[in-house]
Amino acid sequence: MTAFLIRRLAFACVTLFAVLTLVFVLVRIVPGDPAQLILGDQASREAIVALRHRLGLDLSITEQYRVFLVGALKGDWGVSMVTGQPVIAEVLRVLPWTIELTLVSLVLGVAAGVPMGVYAAIHRNRFFDYVARIVSLLGLSFPAFVAAILLLLMFAIVLPWFPVISARSGSPTAWFQSITLPAINLGLISAAYIMRVTRSAMLEVLSEDYVRTARAKGVPWPVIIWRHSLRNALIPIITVVGLYLGILIGNSVLTEIVFNRPGLGKLIIGALNQRDYPMLQGMMVIYTMVVVLVNLITDLTYGLVDPRVKLQ
Amino acid sequence: MTKGLTLTAVLALAMTATPALAQKTTLNIGMGSADAGKLDPHIASATPDKGLLQYMFNGLVRIKPGQVSPDFIEPDLAESWESNKAATEWTFKLRHGVQCQHDYGEFTSADAVYSLKRASNKATSSYSNDYSGVKDIEALDKYTVKITLKNPIAGFLGYVANVNGGNMVCKKAAEEMGDGFAKKPVGTGPFEFAEYRPQQYVKLVANKKYFRGEPQIKEIMYRYIPADSSRDLAFQSGELDMIYGKQDQTWYDRTAKLPDTKVVAMEPAEMSTLFLNITQKPLDDIRVREAIAYGVDRKGIVAFKGAGSSREAVSVVPSGYLGTDEYAPLFPYDPAKAKELLKEAGYPNGVTVKTIHTTLTGMQTFIEAIQAQLKKVGINLDIELVEHATYHAQIRKDLSPLVHYQAGRFPVADVYLTQFYDSASTIGTPTAVTNFSHCNVADKEIRAARVETDPVKQKELWKTAQEKIIKAVCGVPVYEQLQLWAWHTNLDLGYDLKGSLNLSPPITEKTHFVK
Repeated sequence: MTAFLIRRLAFACVTLFAVLTLVFVLVRIVPGDPAQLILGDQASREAIVALRHRLGLDLSITEQYRVFLVGALKGDWGVSMVTGQPVIAEVLRVLPWTIELTLVSLVLGVAAGVPMGVYAAIHRNRFFDYVARIVSLLGLSFPAFVAAILLLLMFAIVLPWFPVISARSGSPTAWFQSITLPAINLGLISAAYIMRVTRSAMLEVLSEDYVRTARAKGVPWPVIIWRHSLRNALIPIITVVGLYLGILIGNSVLTEIVFNRPGLGKLIIGALNQRDYPMLQGMMVIYTMVVVLVNLITDLTYGLVDPRVKLQ
Repeated sequence: MTKGLTLTAVLALAMTATPALAQKTTLNIGMGSADAGKLDPHIASATPDKGLLQYMFNGLVRIKPGQVSPDFIEPDLAESWESNKAATEWTFKLRHGVQCQHDYGEFTSADAVYSLKRASNKATSSYSNDYSGVKDIEALDKYTVKITLKNPIAGFLGYVANVNGGNMVCKKAAEEMGDGFAKKPVGTGPFEFAEYRPQQYVKLVANKKYFRGEPQIKEIMYRYIPADSSRDLAFQSGELDMIYGKQDQTWYDRTAKLPDTKVVAMEPAEMSTLFLNITQKPLDDIRVREAIAYGVDRKGIVAFKGAGSSREAVSVVPSGYLGTDEYAPLFPYDPAKAKELLKEAGYPNGVTVKTIHTTLTGMQTFIEAIQAQLKKVGINLDIELVEHATYHAQIRKDLSPLVHYQAGRFPVADVYLTQFYDSASTIGTPTAVTNFSHCNVADKEIRAARVETDPVKQKELWKTAQEKIIKAVCGVPVYEQLQLWAWHTNLDLGYDLKGSLNLSPPITEKTHFVK
């Protein structure tokens, strides 16, 4: 187990380094001058040259890379070119919003997707199964931002139950009002994914010999489903949930924008438009770390739900 | 019956007894951007930042709220001013007792001098160019500021008005905070900075010591909402009182139909010009440039963009500026003539012109319409679409022979002519600004007008400059897009809104909600 962790962490470091280098190069290959964008279109060439110097953009690429790596190793991701705030501080300030949204929508997705998937599998090729499959297909193919606008129209304008600006905090009611629509928006898509995977995993398990044996010896049906079958079907479901967490964080970009929530998504779009190099680099590192971490947790969970899986 | 009457009476009584709804004093504004930029008035150039900063700052003079023309200049921090005959020495008498926000003390000539020097310094200002003609700024006494110019500057008062570099910052605050000033800007305006929540809002509160009196609005929540549809929905749900519109006619028409809503297309307009690089093939041939000018149908574009929010360009300088030739000899739409010119130039089968263009929706639909118009006369406009920041970088490297640029400037012809048509502003040079066409035909007139003290002669020089530029087809001005805003009718701005050089409706001490 310890050896496994150490090996995975070493891999994570290599991944991080590769991503860092790639991002460093990529953001600079894209045309666009941060100094020009900060100063605006009326600034003179001289003012822009002066600002480029202050931002260290006039250094050679290799020198910039060296400064960046040395800083990164010391845990210093630099300061945002636009706001002058440390990158880490900016990211940490909005990270809780994104994590909160992602987790709540994932919980919604699991809470809706797993039971529906199980139910659809048990009633394979019956009415509910067809409905569930069609609905989940719709959920997958419907763009998140369209669903978001429809949700707002329905539950903020026609029925004024929730705010359009979903960024309230303070009281539990305010929190609940702010998180509900965005979480449903993201949760619906993950529910669709999880439902489909649960259904197919369950179908496979239900046709196993041990399920037939259990039924033959009179084990109650709910016990067969929830203890014997679902437990064995969990591995693919957990894999999908883990993978999907990464996708969710990415998807949250649009949801955050439409529902006016702060978060990594808005931050990354802003940084991209302004060519805020340090910010982009810092954000990519955070994204990479989150994905690596989620994968690690997913792997560890395998061992928990299925003792046959040994982490070596 | 009696019972019914009693019930009605009780109900009526209960209704009248309900305390009158407290007067609303928080103004929620929705701005179309993801976040704040640099909140320093001497650096900010983007609409969202300028629009917000104007609530916090004053100039020595100001353009009357709701107006955009320099004709409406009136006292702001300066009570009065005078200049010598040559208009090279300006003396401003400051108001007594004006207080800087956040208890930074009285605003005096020391602050004004510091602020103007800060605005002229290229290390601390995006607008340093505007002050290159300033020789000296000095405080004669606590309430007197003297500005000496190297030569007369056209529309000089505009540079000490409450726009861009003319915004007055408080010396002590700016010195104390240094780079941090943008995180807590301090001025003398009706509203003072209270809180910034990244990606959410900037909160301003009423400046109780404002010299024109305490504002009736007590709090401004300036919210950053980048998605047009969400901003509209939040406006409909009543969470926002005033919104920055999606800049197109369909938005204008749709929003105007909402109940209790006022929609305004305000000045200053941003003018769309096609700049033609006179040094690159095939545009180095004036006949090709003329063909483009004849091939563009300005009326058609305005019909396409919507007459409520746009209008035809009148000259190479936007309409309404001091010095604009409102009847400039622009090329008429004449497709036959355009084809003929192309043939003459040796392109009987048509010619291809390349342009690098942004994907910003409003601009992109425009260039596609132009592409369709030019196609009819045999000009194939090859559009390379790139994202906005890339577009800005590439057009400054001479990579785009035809540049479509949309801009409004301080409404004095000199600013537009200098930045877009003076050869000193040619892109790629050390003094580059935005002369994309490499135009150099009117340098003499532009520069002479800049220092001309006789207003009649000055206008004459500007007129000649515009004629020469049009004749040489350095740029083909097409249409002007007004700024679209909407607010609920329970908000009374306290003045008549024609426009705002700071690009958002001013919120003054008189602005208030009516029941």
